[in-house]
Amino acid sequence: MRPTQHLLSALLFAAPFAVLIGLWAVLVPYFDVNPRLFPHLDAVVLAAIEGMRDGTLLNHIGASLMRVLVGTVLALLAAIPLGVAMGVSSGISAFLTPPLRFFSVLAGIAWIPIATLWFGYGFGAITFIIFNAVFFIVTYNTLLGVSAIPRSVRNAAASLGAGPWSMLTEVLLPGALPNIVTGVRTGLGFAWRGLIAAEMIATNAGLGYMLFVARDFYRTEVIVLGMIVIGVLWLLLDRLVLAPLERATIERWGMVQPA
Amino acid sequence: MITALHRAWGRYVRLTTHWPAVASIVPFIPFVLMWWAVVAAGLFPRAFLPSPVDVVHSFADLVYKGILPEYLQDSVMRLAVGAFWGIALGIPLGILIGMSQLAHRALWPLLLFFQAIGDIAWLPILVIWFGYGLVTMTFVIVYTVIFPVILNTVLGVRSIPINMHRAALTLGASRLRIVWEIVLPGALPNIVTGLRNGLGYGWRALIAAEIIVGTSGIGFMMFDARRAGSVVEILLGMIILGVLWYIVDSWILAPIERATGQRWGLVTR
Repeated sequence: MRPTQHLLSALLFAAPFAVLIGLWAVLVPYFDVNPRLFPHLDAVVLAAIEGMRDGTLLNHIGASLMRVLVGTVLALLAAIPLGVAMGVSSGISAFLTPPLRFFSVLAGIAWIPIATLWFGYGFGAITFIIFNAVFFIVTYNTLLGVSAIPRSVRNAAASLGAGPWSMLTEVLLPGALPNIVTGVRTGLGFAWRGLIAAEMIATNAGLGYMLFVARDFYRTEVIVLGMIVIGVLWLLLDRLVLAPLERATIERWGMVQPA
Repeated sequence: MITALHRAWGRYVRLTTHWPAVASIVPFIPFVLMWWAVVAAGLFPRAFLPSPVDVVHSFADLVYKGILPEYLQDSVMRLAVGAFWGIALGIPLGILIGMSQLAHRALWPLLLFFQAIGDIAWLPILVIWFGYGLVTMTFVIVYTVIFPVILNTVLGVRSIPINMHRAALTLGASRLRIVWEIVLPGALPNIVTGLRNGLGYGWRALIAAEIIVGTSGIGFMMFDARRAGSVVEILLGMIILGVLWYIVDSWILAPIERATGQRWGLVTR
């Protein structure tokens, strides 16, 4: 695509938002909506500026992102080796699939009550919830990816004299990588929702907490601001980081289906 | 010893090919045994990690008191109502966006953004608008179910080869007939996939909503138990949630998905 085309498609993408914001700016004052039900546009902008200036908004964003980062990194460090180890044997992976699916169903939100009881309100509980959401889904996907590698590819590598280490780094990991990345994307989706829910219940910082406290004071402008921030952050994370990563790994390492 | 293990494994594999249901139950036995062993070893205080027997007792107790069936019914009903509206609104909207270039341009970016906001972030403002109750919860579930349904329907509609439309048009089909006989069947495999994803998200959203704003339901039971510090009921709730979704997903939704894929899926060559 040429730069002008890029610009044009960006404008086309932004146009519906401009219309929506325009409607908001006109209709809410026109119908004189009670600000305790839905905020005026300028109130939200003011809240954003205020939050930026005294640093509270950035603090909440930072707290949320930090938790996601820590939980996800820990989960990946545990999930990928485990998934590879279990996926190597087809018998073990078939046997363990139902429990893994069971736990990935519970991923995230369902762990909130017990996590807060075990770890108390705070960083531990929330990291645990994110860890859970990512861990089981990534383990399951890694296992699927490794067991989908054709037997003949592994046999070929073995007969060419690949040791366990080069088997791992040159056959198993690259072969499972597209699945792993898909798992990370799904898992993070659940983790993000779980994070917001957990922050409403279990902490004193973070975007979910900001929303829930604002509700107590009927400060709808802060609630709407928080919703926009949550949406934009996830959209940026998903579209600019995860989706391109997924596409690139599938193009580079994806299995070409035999015709 | 090893040959005996091999023979047992072979027998197990033969058994699972006869009764596939066995394969989805037996693997849980080691987990339960491990759980039991950890509790019996006394590594954690009993109030922290109750034994499987305690959970079964509490299950029997709550069923006997009639609390559990009632809560379960509440949760499942909410999911069903939410799923119904999600499908009823999502499929027509998806077909519209998939077929009209203008609708696609105008709505697609908004769809992506509103999906990104996520169900749970709506809870605080919904509570202000509708209070604690059924409307709030239905809204959250519909909101969650509808996006995967719309996005997948659009994908399905757009994956139908343009020649199908042309062929139907030259044979004199009206616009409505094209929707009914080309677009809908052609998109059906994708629609079902979207529905399955959507219900998966909707199920979690329901739990979150019940935990945060609920007055009944499995999620509420778990959070109520958390307030009382009763780990047994929390674990019971988690197990019920997992089992229920496992049954719905792998015994109802997955076979439907497979069947529509076989019946209406486009074979690409």
